[in-house]
Amino acid sequence: MKIFLNLLKSPSFLIGISIFLLTICMAVLLPFFYHIDVRTMGAPMLPPSPRHWLGTNHMGIDMVSLLVRGLRSSLYVGFVAGIIATIVGTLLGVYAGFKGGWQDEVITLLTNIFVVIPQFVVLILISASMKEGRSLTLIAVIIALTSWTWSARAVRAQSSSLKSRDHIALARVNGNGTLSIVLYQILPYLLSYVFMVFIIQTASGIISESCISMIGLGPYDTVSLGTILNDAMRNEALSDGAWWAFVPATVLISLIVFAFYVINTSMEGVFNPRLRK
Amino acid sequence: MPIFEVDNLSLHYLTRFGDKVPAVSGVSFSMEKGEVLGIAGESGCGKSTLVNGCMGLFIPPLNPTSGDVRVAGESIMGRTPKDIRKNVLGRKVAMIPQGAFNSLNPTRKIKDLAADMVASHEQGVNKKEIYNRLRERFDLIGMDTETVLNAYPIQLTAGTRQRCVIGISTLLNPQVVIADEPTSALDVSTQKSVIKMIFDLLEKGIFSSMIFITHELPLLRHVADRIAVMYAGEFAEVGTTQQVIFDSRHPYTKALMGAMLSAEPGQKQKKPTAIEGAPPNLAKPIVGCRFAERCPVARPDCKTTTQVMRMVGGREVRCAYAE
Amino acid sequence: MFKNHPTLRYILTRGGWYFLTFLVAVTINFFLPRLGPSNPVDIILAKAGGVSDNATRQKEESYLKEFGLAEVDKAGNVLRDAKDAPIRTSAWKQFGNYIFMSLKGDLGTSFMSYPKKVTEIIKNAVPWTIALQLPAILLAWIVGNVLGALAAYRRGIFDKVFFPLALGANSIPFFAFGMLLVYVFGIYWHVFPAVGGYDSGLNPSFSLVFFGSVMYHYILPFLSLFIIFTGGQAIGMRSMCIYELGTDYVKYAKWLGISENKVLFYMFRNAMLPQLTGLALSLGVMIGGALITEMIFSYPGIGMAVLSAIQSNDYPLIQGCTLLITVSVLIANFTVDILIGFLDPRVKAGRGVK
Repeated sequence: MKIFLNLLKSPSFLIGISIFLLTICMAVLLPFFYHIDVRTMGAPMLPPSPRHWLGTNHMGIDMVSLLVRGLRSSLYVGFVAGIIATIVGTLLGVYAGFKGGWQDEVITLLTNIFVVIPQFVVLILISASMKEGRSLTLIAVIIALTSWTWSARAVRAQSSSLKSRDHIALARVNGNGTLSIVLYQILPYLLSYVFMVFIIQTASGIISESCISMIGLGPYDTVSLGTILNDAMRNEALSDGAWWAFVPATVLISLIVFAFYVINTSMEGVFNPRLRK
Repeated sequence: MPIFEVDNLSLHYLTRFGDKVPAVSGVSFSMEKGEVLGIAGESGCGKSTLVNGCMGLFIPPLNPTSGDVRVAGESIMGRTPKDIRKNVLGRKVAMIPQGAFNSLNPTRKIKDLAADMVASHEQGVNKKEIYNRLRERFDLIGMDTETVLNAYPIQLTAGTRQRCVIGISTLLNPQVVIADEPTSALDVSTQKSVIKMIFDLLEKGIFSSMIFITHELPLLRHVADRIAVMYAGEFAEVGTTQQVIFDSRHPYTKALMGAMLSAEPGQKQKKPTAIEGAPPNLAKPIVGCRFAERCPVARPDCKTTTQVMRMVGGREVRCAYAE
Repeated sequence: MFKNHPTLRYILTRGGWYFLTFLVAVTINFFLPRLGPSNPVDIILAKAGGVSDNATRQKEESYLKEFGLAEVDKAGNVLRDAKDAPIRTSAWKQFGNYIFMSLKGDLGTSFMSYPKKVTEIIKNAVPWTIALQLPAILLAWIVGNVLGALAAYRRGIFDKVFFPLALGANSIPFFAFGMLLVYVFGIYWHVFPAVGGYDSGLNPSFSLVFFGSVMYHYILPFLSLFIIFTGGQAIGMRSMCIYELGTDYVKYAKWLGISENKVLFYMFRNAMLPQLTGLALSLGVMIGGALITEMIFSYPGIGMAVLSAIQSNDYPLIQGCTLLITVSVLIANFTVDILIGFLDPRVKAGRGVK
């Protein structure tokens, strides 16, 4: 537990978490003094004004409202995808790394096959056939199912090296079953690592969602940061110079992902003393 | 003329804030040709720093404070890093590091690594010549030359790797060899053969003198001619093996001997006694004897009077009250 | 024979494994789009079931026959049931038909550009994509690794400034950076063209004018990819080099008095190996990102082909492109794998040990 206190002392961690909290606060607090409305349509492509702080999109809907709603959706997808991918990957990784033998070989073979097939491609193929059914949750699940391989590999490597430690052998000699060893001997050590994995998976989930939404395969009925970009692209916002239609969304995505990466780097510095210089 | 002289050497580390932490203070000793000096001490006593100093390897934040180091009369202090690298390291003073078998570059064949070393010191030698010299030397050491030279470290056993390291380090016939715990992580039989190999080389004159660093005192007894006991950056006692091990005068040396488990006849009944406390923090300025805090026979003025080396019973002791 | 040629055995083993992956990929490529409710098969069949004018009916029937979706009689006519809806073939028959056609090199006919063949559309787009991505990836790998090595070796100011920059660059999603570049340099400052592979007024030819225009349009998309790829590589290489510099063998090399250049060479060579592995893993992501960048710039490569295919529900084209993309990623990974096998003595030694 001392380790988490050390985390708070690390400047990069503080920077990362502040950026993240700042963006969250914006999404949570803004509705209190700015009228969020994603339905009223009006004059399209208006530049920023006192009434519309960041202008309007191609349908005349207020940009700020879209961003706030979109941020919520993107974060939701990122987290759900992150959680699922981390759980699946960790379970498989720990099992493979710890058990070794043929279980390990089979899981590794599976992982290797799925790692090489581009996630992007699978996302397109699945989404293309689901015109009406694409909800945020479904997209999150699909993203998770195509990105678990990363965490499986990472966790497997860690648990594989843990396996040969002495306290595991001791537990085995004492007659503890596999499940109990995994839960009480291995997981506590892996916890900090798994948390870092989760951060990365969430960040990549957010990016994947914005990519898939940007090319038009995003959620059918909700706004997300990616769909905002897709609208901008389809309505030539770029060439019209309507920067408010895509720059804020881009900046938001980049900020959040950057915050996650910084948090992850700072965690690495605290949990892995070798990198400390 | 002594082959290696260290004259009142002091070394310090420069911290980020500009403070000087004295890691080695006033160390002096000299070695004759064919001699083996053992250095013993706890972890953190300054052995590794001293070693770097003896080689002239001052990589920041390590810096020399004062004193001199001479190899065959020639000083190695005050030289540029390039000069040291080219003429001192490997040539005059060579190092056999701790955990030597991890010291071999995994992606380099043994012969290539050795060739790199030679090429870094001698101009214009072609590969073929180098390989021939390598073969000669490795044959001399008694290794399966062709196989070993063409292998990658991963293909060799730990003992063989250790021998390769010894072979490579002594390739250019250095005057002084510093062996830092060369056998710690090996099994007992390999330890024996490695030690034998080192002494073979010494006998054959491949290198001229050796500093053997270890915390294993029983090993030193069989290996060293003279022993220096190091504590908190200083030498506490320097004398012949017989003197230091069987007739220690400095309280620290005595405590060290008492803390040893000995399988010698007649020693089984003796209980080892641990030395209480921990070595002083060298970042803070120290007044008086550095061992005073833990010394079982310390007197009040030990903590205030700076201790100097005295001759007691035919050897040097850094204690005002040693008899 | 195999026993005496460990190299051959290695290549064949890796090759065999990649082939297995290829089979899985082809299967996925076929079956995934048919899983959802608005899958291509149902759509075609539904369209063909309704009554429409002769020309449309013929068009739909040709699709049915081409993809083997409906049963045909010996004369080649589509069999229909009582409600005049075509009779479906089984999924396995369709799969077989798909494999058969693909092996012939026929990836079907495009929906939206009927009667253009998918292979033809792809053939026109591929050169653009390769010309853009291959140099970007290769150059970025080289430059990124060198910069990363420098940052690790020099530390100091270069590192303190460079690292946060690279980290920042790495977090910006591909498309974001592309969009930014387009906006700043293409729209706001009119320095570079914002869209297209070449001037819309020109026709493709081997003239200097055309080539000049191509190059001019090439710069922004290329930079967009190059900068982000370089950032990513540099960060990884920096960590690897920092690790290598702290290893025992580097310390020993210094103790031996080995020259600084040689030590740098050791560090670089040993850090490169995990970098190559990392490259293989991220190739899929890099290519995906590059395709999205193409879309932003309306660059006439595979990216645009996929985008317009998605927008017009042109399933044959979508499937053709995804198959091509997957195969390219597989081939690229295989190449890197073989390269690693040759460069890493740990792998080499593992193969040739007596």
